[in-house]
Amino acid sequence: MLEALLRRGSVGVFLAILVGFAVAAPNFLSVGNLANVFSQSAILGVLAFGLTCVIIGGGSNVVAGGLDLSLAANLGLCAAVFSRLNNVGLALWLTVSLTLACGVAVGLVNGLAVVLLRLPPLLATLASMNVLAGLELVLTENTVVSTDSPLLDLLSGGAWLGVPALAWVLLVTAGLLTLLIQHSPYGLRLHAVGEYPQAAEAAGLRNARYVLSSYLLSGLCAAVAALCSAAFFSGSTTGSGDMLLSVVAIAFLGVVFSRRLVASIPGTLFAALLIGFLINGFQLLNVSSFWVNGVQGVLILLVVAASSALSRGGHP
Amino acid sequence: MKLRALLPLTLPLVFGVIVVVFAVQAPGFLSAGNLKSLVLNNFVLLAIVSIGMTYAVAAGGIDLSVGTALDFASFSFVVLLNSGHGWAVAAAGALAAALLVGLVNAVLIGGLRISPFLATLGTLFIGTSAQQLLSDGGQPIYIAQGLKLGVAGLTPLLVVLGLALFYGVLLARGRLGRELLAQGTQPLLAYYSGLSVRRIVTVVALATALACGVAGVLLGATVSAYVPLSGNAFLLNAIGAVFIGTTLSRQGRANVFGTLLGVLFINVIANGLLLIGWNFYWQQVATGVLIFGVLTFSFASRRLVELA
Repeated sequence: MLEALLRRGSVGVFLAILVGFAVAAPNFLSVGNLANVFSQSAILGVLAFGLTCVIIGGGSNVVAGGLDLSLAANLGLCAAVFSRLNNVGLALWLTVSLTLACGVAVGLVNGLAVVLLRLPPLLATLASMNVLAGLELVLTENTVVSTDSPLLDLLSGGAWLGVPALAWVLLVTAGLLTLLIQHSPYGLRLHAVGEYPQAAEAAGLRNARYVLSSYLLSGLCAAVAALCSAAFFSGSTTGSGDMLLSVVAIAFLGVVFSRRLVASIPGTLFAALLIGFLINGFQLLNVSSFWVNGVQGVLILLVVAASSALSRGGHP
Repeated sequence: MKLRALLPLTLPLVFGVIVVVFAVQAPGFLSAGNLKSLVLNNFVLLAIVSIGMTYAVAAGGIDLSVGTALDFASFSFVVLLNSGHGWAVAAAGALAAALLVGLVNAVLIGGLRISPFLATLGTLFIGTSAQQLLSDGGQPIYIAQGLKLGVAGLTPLLVVLGLALFYGVLLARGRLGRELLAQGTQPLLAYYSGLSVRRIVTVVALATALACGVAGVLLGATVSAYVPLSGNAFLLNAIGAVFIGTTLSRQGRANVFGTLLGVLFINVIANGLLLIGWNFYWQQVATGVLIFGVLTFSFASRRLVELA
């Protein structure tokens, strides 16, 4: 009862923010602006989907459970790989496949480090983050590598049914992952492995494979987000690692949009959009962008405090 | 059983090998000048922040807002100095500012029962906004010409050693340390044994913030400026150092001595690779690979021993 109220409460907060901005900034609800918000949320949203998969497969305990700190660095590396290969003049399909392969390979390394070497995910992905950031520097020599490709033009400028391409990427990725994670036998088992590893093992699941697969998904998401980012900035940019904490915040903020207060793909989508609307609304209202981080922080704390108050029961 | 006793030796062993390799490969590595700059320039600040982080990890949590506490301290230090107060007042004000961050964390973790990771993530975000607003989007604030403090030679190192001794002894020998480790390893057991979770959490948050405050004062005094958001640079390395340090303990617990070795390890690798003359960008790759390797090595040996 109380949980349902909180869940509606959080959707209510979401709507209240929308209505508030809509009243204060007349352009806010225009189709153009909404489309804008969706496409601007694509990069962070897709990255946060990757983190969500890892959290579902590894459990939501932050230190011992699933966590992928290398996501943002992986994006930086994949964007650099794409830009470099594209500038060399490789065929587009090959460039895209190699970029995706790069992301998945990083996921494989992370997954093997967690599953095979039994490193805590926090540490394994922290270390791989450093390696990836270094590899990105090697590829880009710490400069902006601009590149030009029909795919990037399509992603940044294209639209279908009035919806921009980047927004389609966000929505289609969300849709596919929702089917896979929330509604398929695989997804059900992944949840089981994350939340009750011993029960899953006793039921005959090979936990290691599921955890490994969640890191592969996460790597794939990083590569897809890298394509979006390359489209958005017309190439690779420096400083993609700065996105890490925002991605973590979005994935954990998404918890409150799910029925059982666990990480979920639709929840993460809502959270990414919520942050997108906040940033956009502040821009329209001419509020300094310096406030965005703070509001984001307060939101996380509010949401988590409310959900932990509910799930606490008698235990500490 | 005997094998298990050897486990804590893995890290020092790897460390020794790396130092020998650098000593042979990089001619200037063992020179007094290089070692001095290694310790005084690179080691000090990360070491202090990491000592604070050790407490957070030992109690089973983590603190992502170490940079925020550090930045708040260096901001207050610089602003108080510029407004005509003495350095002692400025330093006290700086520590108070850092403790304020710790207090916020304590209320969030102990009072509202938010997990340390998310609570300190929230603090970090709010701290980022606060600094952007205070500094007009990231403009540094310089200490006025006449007020600059010369930080004399070995003072920072003495501060590190003093802090390490204080924090280390309290954690390893005192009653507080035992309670803290109990909370970190067996939180439910600690709760049912009647330990006050709230008190432990508060002490940990304040202790971590205090160490970061000291680092903030030192940073402000050395560079004679407050540079907004500069503290976050220490966050990930501090986490790395603390967890590398846990391999030094037979039970895999966070400990101050291990942390210091972890910090030294990270610094030595960066410094050695620099002296060998590798391409600057490959150095970062190599640093990451080496840290990855050490973690793998020590965790794998721990597992092998446990299986044997």
